[in-house]
Amino acid sequence: MKILVVEDEKGLAESIVDYLTKEGFICEVANTFWQADEKVSLYQYDCTIVDLTLPDGDGFGIIQTLKKIASTTGIIIISARNTLEDKIKGLEIGSDDYMTKPFHLSELNARVKSLIRRRNFGGNNDMIWREIRVQLQARNVFVSEKETLLSRKEYDLLLYFLSNIDVVLTKESIAEHLWGDHMDSADSLDMVYSHIKNLRRKILEKGGKDYIQSIYGIGYKFTAA
Amino acid sequence: MASLVIYLAVGIAFYWIIKYMIYDEIETRLKVEMQDFESFIRSHDTWNNNSYFVENKIEVMPVSGEYNHAVVFKDTLLQNRYDEGIGPFRQLTFYTIIGGVPHRVSIRKSMIESYKLIEAISAAMVTFLCLLMISMFMFQRRLSGKLWKPFYDTLSIIKEFDLTKKEKLQLPQSEVTEFSELDDVLKKMADKMQHDYKSLKEFTENASHEIQTPLALINARVEQFIQSRDLSESHTYWIEEIYHASRRMSRLNQGLLLLAKIENQQFTDTEDLDLVDLLKNKLSDFEDILTHKQIDVKMDLRSSFQIDMSPSLADILLNNILSNAIRHNYANGQLFLESDENFLKIGNTGNELKADPERLFERFKKESAGAESVGLGLAIVKQICDNYALEIEYTYHETIHSIGIRQEVKGLTG
Repeated sequence: MKILVVEDEKGLAESIVDYLTKEGFICEVANTFWQADEKVSLYQYDCTIVDLTLPDGDGFGIIQTLKKIASTTGIIIISARNTLEDKIKGLEIGSDDYMTKPFHLSELNARVKSLIRRRNFGGNNDMIWREIRVQLQARNVFVSEKETLLSRKEYDLLLYFLSNIDVVLTKESIAEHLWGDHMDSADSLDMVYSHIKNLRRKILEKGGKDYIQSIYGIGYKFTAA
Repeated sequence: MASLVIYLAVGIAFYWIIKYMIYDEIETRLKVEMQDFESFIRSHDTWNNNSYFVENKIEVMPVSGEYNHAVVFKDTLLQNRYDEGIGPFRQLTFYTIIGGVPHRVSIRKSMIESYKLIEAISAAMVTFLCLLMISMFMFQRRLSGKLWKPFYDTLSIIKEFDLTKKEKLQLPQSEVTEFSELDDVLKKMADKMQHDYKSLKEFTENASHEIQTPLALINARVEQFIQSRDLSESHTYWIEEIYHASRRMSRLNQGLLLLAKIENQQFTDTEDLDLVDLLKNKLSDFEDILTHKQIDVKMDLRSSFQIDMSPSLADILLNNILSNAIRHNYANGQLFLESDENFLKIGNTGNELKADPERLFERFKKESAGAESVGLGLAIVKQICDNYALEIEYTYHETIHSIGIRQEVKGLTG
């Protein structure tokens, strides 16, 4: 899976590439509009992450070029501009997602994966990890082939974990993933805790192992180790 | 109005002058007749009623006892000799001696003709004065309309002017010095306003980008860092602190930028919205946390709340009030949603307010020192309300904090 990261802030581009490479993606970076334009015309990518504000051009331009020559590429906008107009414009010209800076790398990773899944299989495939199987279309979860009933948030939480295996997820990033960033209260961290407790219990009940490891003070990690 | 009074006064004066002149004329003629009568008596020393005085009625009555020699004029109403009507007469009464006996003689002259004259003159005068007045009025209106036209043109252009748009203020050149000066001043003001608006807008956009990008970098680096397996407890603590600080800073930056944008009136897209409807939708976003804190929602939504407002601002407004009401609520508390025509109230149970309620809507005023809130939520709410001329009030009554929003109802005549 090839991903192009268009971002002028070198450090941020590096972080994204680092994170996504660990997740098994092949990443390339473009720091300027013209670099991006060239790469987009020469190579084929499964997903492109585009920053809107570039020193020598507007990210919207790259998206328009992409849509013309390679319409199957998934596009995620990452931008510091969080106006509704920008978001609407981004979606109108054909991007698939819009993330406002600062964002969590784990969230970006989850969205890239979900986008590629949707692009390649139309979402009509199963996600299997050890004894856990998730039917994405029907939103059903099976642990050791036994159907496990999860609430909507527990399902979202499990999917977020499965997209970020072996990665420490902060409580804040989980809370934001589940409820969006409008829920900026201490209560949401309590809720994360109780949802994780329930998810863990439900997986154990069906004979699964306890994969959720809590990292003191920071968050949680879904890991086989 | 003043001219109407003057016209009325002139009319009345005219009426009296004409009346005086007619009386004078009639009285002179009556006096001449009195002399005729006296000379007739002097030569004949007798009087019979079938005399040659045709037009006038002459009444001769013998008087006994005291009399004075005064000659008196008087208005009287008498039966007309020919028809049955009663007409006005002017009567001259004097005393004379006929055949050695004193007699009172009254000579009367009909004034019907004279009254008709007065009426005709008055009618003509009223008509002409009215015509004069109307034409003066029309003339002045047209004159002032023409004179003030550049002013009204300018006024209507200013009313249409929108400083958030790129078009500059275009005013027609006026020949009148005062108006062209006014136009120049207005143009300068509009240009300055547009320039300020634009630079503030650019500043908020730049500030947003320039601050959020390094924050994104800090966030990303911290996230990468926490993946390392050999973190000691103190390391985790420091990293957590850095992470929290950067998140708070990011939220603070977003809040302040939002405030600046609202103050700068950059949300120009408006739609006809029902806040009560939006509130109900918004409540479902908070469903999880309401269940989690076991907060009981009590709804008393009697009426819709229609308002012309930017949808994004309406969303922020309700979100901030609701999340505020939930954050300061305690477990097993209550949330009250109340609406009436042009009124919306969101209340919550909670601990007593320690701060001054007057200062609740100020920036960076927070009740609890919770690191999660940056203290801008209610300031943003207040700013949005100010932008849409909504009245906002905070009330505290028996452990229930409420925030009410009231829309001033514009009168039909206003």
